[in-house]
Amino acid sequence: MQGDFYQLLKEQGYVLGSSGQAGTGQELTIATTILAFKYRDGVLVAGDRRATAGNMVMYDRTDKVLEIDRYSVMAIAGVPATAYEMARILEHSFKYYRRTQLQELSFEGKLRALSKLLKENVAAALAGTGAVAPIFAGYDAGQEAAKIYFYDILGAEFEGVEYAVSGSGSSTIRGILHYLNTWGEQPLNAMPEEQATVQALRLLTSAAEFDSATGGVNREAGLYPIIKFITGSGVRMMPDLQLRSLFESRVSRST
Amino acid sequence: MYEEPYRWVEAVGNRRQYLDDQLKEGTPVVGVAYERGILLMTMSKGTPKLYEIYDRLALGGMGHPADLEKLRFNLLEMAHVEGFNRSVSDVTGSRLVKYGITPAIKQAFEEVFKAPFIVKILLAELGKKSGKDGFLTINYDGTFEEKSRYAVLAATSAVEEKMMGYLRQQSIVSLKDAVDVAVRSWAVGDRAQRSALEDGQGHDEARTVPDQQVIDAEALYTHLRRCIAEKTIECALLDRHVQGPSKYRALKADELRTMLPTDLSPSLA
Repeated sequence: MQGDFYQLLKEQGYVLGSSGQAGTGQELTIATTILAFKYRDGVLVAGDRRATAGNMVMYDRTDKVLEIDRYSVMAIAGVPATAYEMARILEHSFKYYRRTQLQELSFEGKLRALSKLLKENVAAALAGTGAVAPIFAGYDAGQEAAKIYFYDILGAEFEGVEYAVSGSGSSTIRGILHYLNTWGEQPLNAMPEEQATVQALRLLTSAAEFDSATGGVNREAGLYPIIKFITGSGVRMMPDLQLRSLFESRVSRST
Repeated sequence: MYEEPYRWVEAVGNRRQYLDDQLKEGTPVVGVAYERGILLMTMSKGTPKLYEIYDRLALGGMGHPADLEKLRFNLLEMAHVEGFNRSVSDVTGSRLVKYGITPAIKQAFEEVFKAPFIVKILLAELGKKSGKDGFLTINYDGTFEEKSRYAVLAATSAVEEKMMGYLRQQSIVSLKDAVDVAVRSWAVGDRAQRSALEDGQGHDEARTVPDQQVIDAEALYTHLRRCIAEKTIECALLDRHVQGPSKYRALKADELRTMLPTDLSPSLA
């Protein structure tokens, strides 16, 4: 079918990921914490900045919340090489579709594109060399609402009606999100932007407390998580300066 | 019978005549650079003639829609595969044109047993900085020219020269200037083309329109008013100030309305 960039790549001999032997890999570790939840104006997506290899911290400035186009974001947990490659394919796929077909790819179409990539990557995922469990969030123009979807490494797609989490630190914050949303002063989807940002910072700080593979806030180095908002007017990133002032006034317990 | 060199040259010559004839009613396309980017402008009857090719590349075309569509797809495929395999910055207009589509256009033009592409193409490329914007125009025989500041497509080279001559005298700073100059240059071209058709002459006919008449802006607006009864003004921008990597956007009717003389705007929609 016309307008399919991934198909075009495959016709030119492109293969996504290395095909490993299924089932021979070591235990899968997905070291990261990413989260997304619906707040008053749309969806907030946040991710820590740490990349690890076993016990080693590889990098503390990773951007795991990737803007795929003006209206969608993919947050990645898993093997970064594969995840970044998928993000690049998606980015080009959406652009290619829009430019060839002279209309935007539907939100369902975008979800399907990611699901397809994950399915094609199953062999590498099971071999332990290419497992990715992303969160995809975007503005669905058809339904005029921002939505959250999360995936397992095999490509199964689930809607996060209120929130979604992924990565090694996710089990810590999943419970907190449930608690906040159910018994908090206000449900997540009623929170204004600033309040939502504070909660996201607190959640990631909690994840970093219990998960060595999640990087917390590093004030000396001025490293803060990446937080992005998706609303009807597109994707926007919270600047570090604002994150710092919110962190210092409402998250940090020591000044 | 085309094995003989003389016959082949004759066949190619016939082909030129055939293509000129096919393109003689085509609508001119104007591209001008302004401080924030590039404006492409034409008039169309429904089928769009301006397209987004890549993050910083846009295309305007005249000729047969099916041929234009084919070449547009070629450009899109090349640009996106290259942008993915290498990087976005490696996708340049000049590479796409020189190594991509012009060899194919030339081949189709010279293979006298096959159909040529009935098209003329204008590719606009937004530079990183103001003053670095560029244009490439491609003719149906595969020849191309690189230009800066402005470029045009029209049925004959005489009409194109006339439009370029008019553009040379204009100064463009803002988008409003760009829109105004673009529609007037378009009118210069369209008028010259129409009078050539009426005269039914060859290539030099455009010169029969007195220059004095062309420079008069009011006469050009009058001509435009007559044209917009049956056609729609189509404008697209490569705008350096658009957020994100893709700089292309169509200029919407209500935005365009604020930039044109009021009596030109009602029939924009």
